[in-house]
Order: sequence, then structure tokens, then C-alpha cells
Amino acid sequence: MKKKLVSLLLSTAMLSTVLVGCGGGNQQTAASEGDTASTEEGSEEAVAEAEYTVGPEDGTKLSMWVFVPAHAEFYAKMAEEWNAKNADKQINLTVTSYPYGDMHNKLTLANQSGEGAPDLCDIEIGQFPNFLQGEVQFQELNDYIDPYREDVVQARIDTYSKEGKNYGVPTHVGATVMYYNTKILEEYGIDYTTIETWDDYTAAGKQLKEASGGKVCMTSVDTGGTDWLWLAMAEYGEDFTNEDGSPNIQLESIKNMITMQQGWLNDGIAMISPGGQVDMEEGYANIAAGNIASFPKAMWYMSRFINYMPEMGGQWAIAPCPVFEEGQPRSVGIGGTGTVVSKQSENPELAAEFISWAKLSYDGELQIWNMLGFDTCNTSIWTDTTITQDTNNEYIKYFVTNPFDTLNEIKDEIGLIKVGRINPTINDAFNLTILNACFEEGANVDEQLEQGQSDCELEW
Amino acid sequence: MAEVVIQKDKMDVSVKKKIQTVIATGFFMLLSLLVVFPFIISFIASFRPGRDLIRNGLALNLDFSTMSLHNYEYLFTGDHSYFVWFKNSILITFVSVFLTLIVCYFVAYGLAMYNFKLNNLLFFLVIATMMVPFEILMLPLYQEIIDLHLTDTYAGVILPGICSASTIFFFRQYLQGLPTTLLDAGRIDGATEFGIAIKIIMPIAKPAFAAMGILCAMGSWNNMLWPMLVFRSASHFTLPIGLNGLLTPYDNNYNLLIAGSMFAILPVFIVFLCFQRYFIEGMSAGAVKG
Amino acid sequence: MGKVKKLLFSQKVAPYLFILPFLLSFLLFWAYPMFSTIKMSFQSVLPGQVEWIGFKNYTKLLKDSAFHTAMLNSFEYMIGTLVLLIPFPMLFACLMESRLVKAKGFFKACLYLPALTSIVVSGMLFRLMFSELGGSQMNQLLALFDMAPIKWLKIKSTSYFALFVLACWRWTGVNMLYFIAGLKGIDDTFYEAAEIDGANARQKFRYITMPLLKPTTIYVLTISIYAGLAMFMESYMLWAGNASPNNIGLTIVGYLYRRGIEKNQLGYASAVGLVLLIIALIINVIQLKLNGTFKKEE
Repeated sequence: MKKKLVSLLLSTAMLSTVLVGCGGGNQQTAASEGDTASTEEGSEEAVAEAEYTVGPEDGTKLSMWVFVPAHAEFYAKMAEEWNAKNADKQINLTVTSYPYGDMHNKLTLANQSGEGAPDLCDIEIGQFPNFLQGEVQFQELNDYIDPYREDVVQARIDTYSKEGKNYGVPTHVGATVMYYNTKILEEYGIDYTTIETWDDYTAAGKQLKEASGGKVCMTSVDTGGTDWLWLAMAEYGEDFTNEDGSPNIQLESIKNMITMQQGWLNDGIAMISPGGQVDMEEGYANIAAGNIASFPKAMWYMSRFINYMPEMGGQWAIAPCPVFEEGQPRSVGIGGTGTVVSKQSENPELAAEFISWAKLSYDGELQIWNMLGFDTCNTSIWTDTTITQDTNNEYIKYFVTNPFDTLNEIKDEIGLIKVGRINPTINDAFNLTILNACFEEGANVDEQLEQGQSDCELEW
Repeated sequence: MAEVVIQKDKMDVSVKKKIQTVIATGFFMLLSLLVVFPFIISFIASFRPGRDLIRNGLALNLDFSTMSLHNYEYLFTGDHSYFVWFKNSILITFVSVFLTLIVCYFVAYGLAMYNFKLNNLLFFLVIATMMVPFEILMLPLYQEIIDLHLTDTYAGVILPGICSASTIFFFRQYLQGLPTTLLDAGRIDGATEFGIAIKIIMPIAKPAFAAMGILCAMGSWNNMLWPMLVFRSASHFTLPIGLNGLLTPYDNNYNLLIAGSMFAILPVFIVFLCFQRYFIEGMSAGAVKG
Repeated sequence: MGKVKKLLFSQKVAPYLFILPFLLSFLLFWAYPMFSTIKMSFQSVLPGQVEWIGFKNYTKLLKDSAFHTAMLNSFEYMIGTLVLLIPFPMLFACLMESRLVKAKGFFKACLYLPALTSIVVSGMLFRLMFSELGGSQMNQLLALFDMAPIKWLKIKSTSYFALFVLACWRWTGVNMLYFIAGLKGIDDTFYEAAEIDGANARQKFRYITMPLLKPTTIYVLTISIYAGLAMFMESYMLWAGNASPNNIGLTIVGYLYRRGIEKNQLGYASAVGLVLLIIALIINVIQLKLNGTFKKEE
């Protein structure tokens, strides 16, 4: 009877997690840099188990919360491997996945009340700053990350840090690339490989519009996501927060990007993303219908192709993003999940050691690539030909180009945008107001940015 | 429109009356159709693949080739927790309606039947709580629930709502309309004050119970905001929370969402149909005389 | 034992015992949270760091354009619902109670059906019907008239249209039932007397029905004002979350939720809540005043 009850509870937990999944319940606009990340890694199609317990009964008990069922699966697998290797440090890991918003609210709650937090917890990058306010309720992880520090993209660790203390273990780089639909482009005689600047891109867009009679757009611009702006900032080496974390959104890069996109809309080269951005059900439908020929998105979007557009295999290529001026860096890291160890944990050392190993070691990163299809933080994976040339890998199979070729090409050009306390506010300003006003209503960019800046300063 | 107010119409021309009847009835037929229309299209849509709806929007579409019983089949046989939510919703609704009615009845009884010092003050407090939208107190209440260690419990969801001011108000209005001689009769028969409240007055107040029962049940069944805050584990979720959770692009469960939504309407509707008579009776006897 | 017995029979003690649960609930779930929300509105509340910051939350509200948008939206919505959801249900109720309509029970049930439907379900239905996609109900309707699809929920006017349609759809039946209940309480003799005096139908409506329905109207008015000002779930479901383009769907309570729950700024959210409370109180006082004057007239 008890068993039955437990399985009932589990299946409930399971379903709702999968269902509530990673979207955080936001459709139109919430795809901020943070929320995109929240939705980034989801999507095991079928009903995945929402709770895993692995390891021997007498192992050290560790609990963990995640907001993506696929991650739960990954951690469970890593716990097994850990136990196989560390006979003296056996762990008994229970991973539970909850809906995105729910999980973060719960963690906030547990931090405030000083009880009920799990030993380990995944936190989405956009939410992370919220948890760094006041006294940080997590363990410092510097010593545990140190063994892997050399191989790992440092910027990703810094994202989850405060005053030099590392609080979160990163999952992936999230390098932004341009996805091109080669079938469409070839049909209308466009060679995407020659596109290097946004001017080239715009010209190709014009050509596409004329050749297709306006049927196909070069891309879709987002009213509910800031990915394009992140890319622009990285290209110009700008950031919409200052050194001290204060907001500074009136940037040349952002103005240029928005103005350029307004031009595209006027010329009919681009459309507005249905649903606000491409990582939405409406967005998948739009891409699958062949309405747009390209769009920039982080590497993790590969899994969306596999899950939502499997029929388009062999059509899509991955290439570096265009730039405003030649010589500018061509990518930016977007999205991510940092795993923390709670101060409430009874076994913080073991938890920290395990999670650093699971997410940063070569073995762990290999599983991240194989199971989740992310561009790992451990760059030694990127050049290991047994991995990069593995033609059985579904991601490598799906795309016309090898993802790692592009990744290695832009390796040193992946910009970083800081994520701090003010970022959720900046995201709201863009996703709720500025982008809508500029694209839907053709509002003046400068005025919008000025208003947005003063709104953000109010929060600072 | 105005002539319809006439209650005792002595129009001799029966034809005219017939025409008016047709027009008036036709008007409501149209209105009802308009109101029921969204249900009709979503009912028809519930036989189509869920993802289709999300990707294309909801419209009346009688394309039989894409329609199947699959969604309902999945609802009843699939591996999902819909019926756990369903059970939770029923449980919470049942318990909170029961407790609310009992507690509010006695409070209202106290206010309506006795003349005591603090009566006016207390009634003023009832009104005061009625005048403050729940949403204002939502956050501190949520913190209080944390402090009381009631998060993620049924008690945390149910308790704050039991003393519903509007229900007390309604009952009080209703009970004030009853003659106090009933009480004296009871006292002479040797009943205790509680005995009178339960054995004599309660049966008389049946319509009020029915009306408030329906209103409370409706509110509880459809309540989402507060349970969403209090509940943490998925095994406690109620239907609205669960259904809302189905609304993400990260799974194939739009099928469950659309079939489950249709099915969720059923219970309250059945209850309403059964008690509709009491409902209107109760309403006219209570609240609106206030 | 004797004492208990005495207690059970005591008319002095009984009312207090009856009232006790209310008092407890009042203190625990109303007075205390009320006190703490007032307190928090003068604080900055972060984990491990609670600070008194005086009126800073309130001065910030004055400059917060999103909050102003929320206020405006809530008021517009409230006024819109008052205009739509009082006169029409009243007329419908009169029509329904005239003896001209057949199958009343059926119609009442139909009209009441939306109110029984969870806002989660109805919000979803309306979101899909008002979707910007070409295949949505409203855009198909436009297509019938050869009009291009509209992004219903991205433009303020059309999204308010959607909100009002949703509100009317949900509440017309309920308000109508309130008015029907009110009509049942009106004594037929008034109408008979009026007829003897030769009043026509319009006069009867104007001079008998309307005044005698006043308590009902005031009741419906009150609950509509509160429901309108405190609207949140409708917008939450229609935009599938608390974020709408240009904040067109943001309401006061939505903003309170955004600040308090989503951004974990309990202090600031409390200030938002108190502003709502003050507005509610002001409206109340005005209403009580009007109510009083009405009484004098009678």
C-alpha cells in the first residue's frame, strides 16, 4: 500500500514537472536571457521520471532539486558513476524535478525560513542574481572547482560568483551561432557561407525576399527575448551593466541592432517571431513551416531541432554569427544553469565534491554532451575527435555542418555579458516594453532606451 | 425591453404576447448560444491533437480526419497524474465547504440571534475583512503560513479561508429574517443554545446552506492563486494548478490539457444543476436584502 | 459539570462561543498579516537582512511607471466591467423574470456555466481564441470579412476587448442571478398598484423596479468594484503568465505578485498592496456616503 502511494506521489511529481517543465509558464515575453535559459535544456519528449534515487542505502544521503527532468536523469547517471569510482565515498542521491517557477520559489522560501532546502539545487542563470541578494545561503565552492579550473571556461564560473566566491557550478557555454536553413537558401540561390557582416546578411535577406516573392523571410526578430541584443553587445564589447552592476542600456550596439532590425521589418526581410521568440511552440511551428531561413540562437537550441523539428534533419547548418564590422567577435554565451550547495546541507563537502566532478570533469562533460547536447564548459571535449567525429551522435547527424567546427572556430570569440542584480529588471524593460514598442509600433529607439534606462535606474 | 418588466400584463391581444414570447425566448437562446459557443468549439477541439491547437489557435474546425478519441483515451488510461489533482481538488473543496459552512453559520448565528455588547463591533470587523481584497494580505499570509509550518499542507490552503466574511454576512442577513420566537420556543422546551442553533434553526436555513455551499464550492474548486503559493509538492496540486502546468511547450501533454479541461468543468456543473433551485432561493432570501 | 451545563444554557456566554472561531481567524489570518504588511511596507526585506527604510518604498512607487500602468489598467478594467456588467445583467434579469420566456432554467444554467469554469480553463480557451495566429477563432472571424489577422493580445485596445469579452462571458450570468434574486423579493402588489394608476411598462421599470432593486444593485456594484480592482488571474491566464507586451495586461495585484513572489521584494510589494487597500477604502467611504444619501431620499 505504501509503495503504491509512493509511486502515485512520484508519478504526480513526475508528470507535473515534465509538464510544467522548464517554461516557467511564460509564453510571450518572458524569454529573457534568463528565461530562455530556463527553457533551454528541457524536453525529453515522453513523460520522464521526475524523481530518481540512486546509490546504496547506507551511502551518504544527498537531496537535489532540478527544474528540468532531463537534468535529473543526467545527475542520476553521474551519481552511479561516482559510486563506481569512489568506494569510500558512496552517495545516495535523490533528484527531484519541479516546475521551473515553483522550484525557484521553493528555494527562495527555504532560504528565507532557514529550513527545507535540498543539499544540491540547480538554479537558472536569470534567477541566480536573486539568490545572491543579502546573505548568500550557499556554500563557497572555489576549492572544489579548482581541480578543473584550467579546462573550464572561466567566464561561466564567474557568472555564478559574488565577490570572488564561486557559488554555482556551470553547465554549458551556450555559445550563440547562426542557424541557416540550407534547403531554403539553396532553393533561392543564396550562399550563407559568404555572409560575414550584417550588411551581407541584410543583402542576402533582400535577395531572398525578391527570389521568393516575399514568401520566406530571412529571419524573425524577437519582441520577447534579448538574444539579438546580447549578440550585438558582445560584438561591440559592450555590456548593459556597468562595472558596479548599475544599468546602462543606451548602448551603440543595442541601438544599431534594433535600428537594423526595424529596417528589416520595414523592408519585409524579417518578420516578428510568433510568440515573441523562437524558443516557443509558435516559434517551432514557424521554423518548421519554412517561413524563416535563419536565426541566431545558442548551441543548446540544437536539442529543439531534434525534439520539435525532427523532420528537418539534413537541412540546417550552423555557422558563426554575422558582425557589424569585420574583426568583431562573433558569438556570445547565453543561458545556463548553476548548481549550488546549500548552507543547510549536512554534508556540504561531499556534495560540493560530487557536483564539481559531475559537471566539470571530462567524464561529466562527456555525458552532458551525449545526454543533453550542450556545448560543454570543459573545452577539452571540443577537440576530442572521438567525440566530435562520432557520426552516431544524433546532434552531429542532424546538422549539415559539424557543430564542433563552428564551436572551435569561434572558441576565442565567445563574449560574456554579466548577469547581476539589475538584469531581471533590464530584461523586463526590453521584453515587456522596448522591443514591443520598437518592432510592433515602430517607436523611436533612442526615446525607448532613454525611458528604459530611467526605469532601470529606479530599481538600482 | 421595458415592457417585459410588466408582471401582470393584461394585454388582451394574445397574438402580441405570443410574438413577445418568441422574441424574448429567442433572445435568450441567442445569448445562451453565444455563451456556450466557446465550450462548443473547445469540445470539438478536444478531439484534435493538442499541439495543433497551440500552434494554430483555437477555432471551430470540423475536420474529421484529424479528430479522434485519443485525447480522452489518454485522459482515462494514460500514465499521468490528472486524477490525483482531481482527487485533491475534490478533497479540498469538500473539506473547505463543509468547514466554512459550519463555522460561518455559527458565527452568523451568534451575530444575528443575540444582543450582546460587542455585537456591533464584531459585525463591523466582519464587514472590514470583507472590504479588504484577499490579494493584499496574500504575501504576509504566505509568510505566516511558513512560520506556522503549514506550507505544502491542506491545512495551509484551507484554514485561512474558513471564516469567510461574505458567507458570514450572508448567513447573518438570512438568519435575521427569522422570527426570534423560534428561539424562545426552543428554550422553553429545554434545549441548550447550541441545541437550538443546530436542531431548530439549521434546518430552516437549508436554502442558505445550499446557496452558500454552491458559491463556496465553486470558489474552492476553481481557486488557484493561494494553493499555488502554499503547495510545493506536485502530489498536492489541485486541478487548476496542474492544468496550468500543462501549458508549456516542453511536453506533449496538450492532449491531456484539452481533454482534462473539458472534464474539469463537469463536477461543478452537475452540482449546480442539482442545487440550482436552492441556489436562487437562497440568494433571494439572503444577500441581496442587505 | 454543572458549570458546563450552565454554560450551555447561558444566553450571555453563548454568542461569544459562537463568535470565537471568527475572532481567532480574524486575529490570525487578517489582523496579523495586515499588521505585518503595513510593517513590511516600510522595510526592505531580504534573506538575513531586514532594514527599516522609511517611506522609500512609497516614494519609489511614485516614480515607478510600471506601477502607474498597473493602476491605470486596473481602473480601466474596473470601470469597463461596471459599465458592462451591471445594466445588461439587470435588463436580462427583468426580461427573464417577465413571464414571456420559456425554458428559463435551461437558459440560466447556460449563462451560469462560464462562472463554474475554472479561470485556468476559460483563460486558456480565450487565449487560444484570441491568438495572433491565423487559425484562431477571432482571426478566422475577421477573415470572413476579408480582414487581415490581428495580434489581439499585443495591442491595448484589442486586448481589452478580449478581457471584457472574457469578463462579460464569465460574470453576466452570475450578476443576472443576483438581480433575479432581487426581483423575486419585490412584491407584486407594487406593480398592481402602478397598473391601476395607469403606469406604462417603462414607468414601472423606472419607478418600481429600479428603486426596489437598489440594494441588489449596490451589492453587485460593490463586489464588481472589488473584483475589478483586484483582477489578476484573468490577465495571468490570458497572457500565460504575468508578463504582457508593454504591460498592457499588468494589474495592481499582478504587480504585487511580480514584486512579492517573482522578485522576492516583500517590502515593495507590501507598499503596492497598501496602496490598493487605501484605494479600496476610499471607494468604500464614497459608496457608504452615497448609500446614506439614498436612504434619506427614501
